[in-house]
Amino acid sequence: MNAHRSLTRREWLVLTCAGTLAFFGIWALASLAGLTSRQFLPPPWTVAEKFVELTYQPFSGATLQKHLLSSFGRFGMGFALAVLIGIPLGLILGWFRWADAIVSPLFDALRFVAPIAWVPFAALWFGTGIGGPVLIIFTGAFPPCVINAHRGARYVDQTLIEAARTLGARHWHIITEVLLPASVPSIVAGLRVSAGLGWQSLVGAELIVASSGIGYVLVKGQASISTSIVMSGMIAIGIVGFAIDALLRRIEVQLRRRRGDER
Amino acid sequence: MARIRNGRSEPSRLAVGGLTLLGVILLWYVATSITQTIPPVYFPTPAEVLQALRQISLQGYADGRLQQHFFHSCWLVLMGFMVAVGIGVPLGMLMGWSRRAEAFVNPTFLLLRPIPPLAWIPLAIVWLGLGDAAKVLVIWFAAFVPAVINSYAGVRSIEPYLIEAARSLGVRGAMLVREVLFPGALPLIFTGLRLSLQACWTTLVAGELIGAIVGLGHVLYQAGLDLFPAMIVVGMIGVAIGGGLMTAALGWLETRAMPWHRR
Amino acid sequence: MRMHLRQLMLAAVVAVIGTATQAQLTEIKVSYQPALYWALPFYVAEEKGWWAELGLKATFSTFPAGVPQIAASASKSWDVGGVGSVPAVLGAARYNLLTIGLTNDESAGNALVAVASKAEGFAKNPQSIKGQTIVLTANSTGDYAVQSCLAKWGLKKSDLIIKSMGQAEIISAMSSKNAELGGLWAPNIYTMEEKEGAKVICSGKDTGTVIPGALVVRADYAKEQPENVAKFLAVYLRAWKWMNAHRPEAIALMKKFYDLGGVSISQASMEKEFDTRPTFDLTGQLKVMKGGDASDVDKWMTQISEFMKSTGTLAEPPPASRYVTDEYMRMVEADPKLREFANRSN
Repeated sequence: MNAHRSLTRREWLVLTCAGTLAFFGIWALASLAGLTSRQFLPPPWTVAEKFVELTYQPFSGATLQKHLLSSFGRFGMGFALAVLIGIPLGLILGWFRWADAIVSPLFDALRFVAPIAWVPFAALWFGTGIGGPVLIIFTGAFPPCVINAHRGARYVDQTLIEAARTLGARHWHIITEVLLPASVPSIVAGLRVSAGLGWQSLVGAELIVASSGIGYVLVKGQASISTSIVMSGMIAIGIVGFAIDALLRRIEVQLRRRRGDER
Repeated sequence: MARIRNGRSEPSRLAVGGLTLLGVILLWYVATSITQTIPPVYFPTPAEVLQALRQISLQGYADGRLQQHFFHSCWLVLMGFMVAVGIGVPLGMLMGWSRRAEAFVNPTFLLLRPIPPLAWIPLAIVWLGLGDAAKVLVIWFAAFVPAVINSYAGVRSIEPYLIEAARSLGVRGAMLVREVLFPGALPLIFTGLRLSLQACWTTLVAGELIGAIVGLGHVLYQAGLDLFPAMIVVGMIGVAIGGGLMTAALGWLETRAMPWHRR
Repeated sequence: MRMHLRQLMLAAVVAVIGTATQAQLTEIKVSYQPALYWALPFYVAEEKGWWAELGLKATFSTFPAGVPQIAASASKSWDVGGVGSVPAVLGAARYNLLTIGLTNDESAGNALVAVASKAEGFAKNPQSIKGQTIVLTANSTGDYAVQSCLAKWGLKKSDLIIKSMGQAEIISAMSSKNAELGGLWAPNIYTMEEKEGAKVICSGKDTGTVIPGALVVRADYAKEQPENVAKFLAVYLRAWKWMNAHRPEAIALMKKFYDLGGVSISQASMEKEFDTRPTFDLTGQLKVMKGGDASDVDKWMTQISEFMKSTGTLAEPPPASRYVTDEYMRMVEADPKLREFANRSN
């Protein structure tokens, strides 16, 4: 790996703790220094207190967990849709060059359009249904799924494909039995990025068009001039986002180990 | 891992891309104007989009003409991008190089990373007001993460023996960074730059929610408020073009910076 | 096991009876925005079970603002609802929404607010507002109120810098001293007054402009189910009648309703909502809608249309007579049962 020596367990622990303390320390000092008002930067303990309070006292119609749950539900649907459509599409694009030539330019064009720009259309097409947020999440989560499946399929070892061909495999078989298994590492890496972007897009959508959910909590906290609610919301979003990423990373590592190419 | 070379040359790929775009526009025209399979209330016709384009270029829309919006957005993106890269790449490289630095900085990074850039809007307004600084902050958060991660991975990917070899020749410090680390990490750094740039453009729309007077994101926001789908499409096209041009520029920079590297 | 079976049968019987009574109720999809004064009747009616009394089962959808609310009508997500008059005009132009009544007169509830330190200065000398930045939500009643205030002082939008953003962002900007003037509507006005000492320097009322709130319905729904539209109006009217007759209980319900929307303002501010925002009973509604194009409501909506034309949002606003209609209010008046229901104050 890297030339620099690895840390001992103790060194790592000490430095990690030091880093964490530094972060909270600077935060605490900045808020206490009095150059900032309560609204500007509430101290960490105020935020922690507010966070806990939100878990048992409903704000804007529900407790923090309930809001998180509705957000997560929307995220789940949008992400599932992105995966179910994106991965097969990516594999097909990786296999059929002509499909790639046609679709890729479109894809490259749409990539830069923020999911949040689709919000007016989401309201128009889906109204109040879950379709609206799902559309937004889909636009965020879709590209990485396709791109990574595409890359995985494109760079599959040619000998495998040749072998499958000589055994008489048709397109469909090649895609499902050669490309798919070979692309799994790339796909799983793409899933992590996709999940991250999907979760972020959801929050964006909820800042504008929602009446429940964690993004909604952020807006309502802002309207009540409560920076601690806003920060509690941000922490909650961060925790869930981190958890999703950690879960997918676990899966990625397990898969790598299983396939024996641990880097 | 052998890869069959794509026999097609560059110009013909461009031609196919152009043809595809034309085909999509044709399909769009037929679906909306001729057959009305998509009712006009749900999605604008090409004619309506052209009309909106004319309006924003000649008379102006959302307090400005198309050029003003376009260039102001490009400017914001560039600012956010430079700041993110200026801080993110060195930080990522440092973390990749020194396990100590990594252990120390990681807690802060892990805590802040999952928070979506959009969620920083309430705080950005409180800390930096309604000017360009707040927008750049939001964009910065989005672009910062990919820059750090990929620079980190870039440094880590350098073969240890190269570093040992350089060291044994007496190369140290700044020279080591300049002659060994930086070039070695460059491919992945550029991957990070691409991702950062894309993040900048997608977050731009969100950033310009903070009291913008001109900008493509502002156009998108205003068009959303006016329920003017044709103008939303014009805004999306503007963003796609801006993003595409900047990515192409980045690609050119990449080939100049790494003439030895074949993509 | 036998106990279990008996309980199951009991539950099944109850469920069947329940659904039987439910089956007689027609569903109606109602939309509104949370924690707003004019939406209170929907909440109160639901709490009191008045929808069911007329054979309706109301399902609600809430929206953070008027614009997504009217956009959602395009996909028939809701049938009837309440919305600000500015989005109502936009909805009439784009999505065939009819205005069938008024929610309230919110002229006093939409205002130009200034931060504590600057309020007196601006109030004494409005001309000093020239060159300043006003943050407001475009295409809203708040925007309209600010426009009217500027017109009253002989100022034009081009004399200032206008920045558009959501109400929450406006509050954030003003309370963190990053903006000094904002166009807000209630209860956000009260939040700023109570928590930051901000002051209203001019409301819609001060300019003599009437800013109504609108009761709306999708045109095709109104054609299919006119009786339900009339019933909807009757429920809404009854709720206001009851609240005006039982103020303390109404305030208590208002606190709960606002809480659900994440807003908490003082008792005094809640009373102020009732005191400064007149509502219309059946007679009142018919009166302001009487006279075809010459009716008060037509006049007010036409003024709003002109406002939207001046901001460039609507190039050709539809004439008010095309979407304002008292047909459904008259249905309530004509039906003795509905008329009695709408006028009940207990």
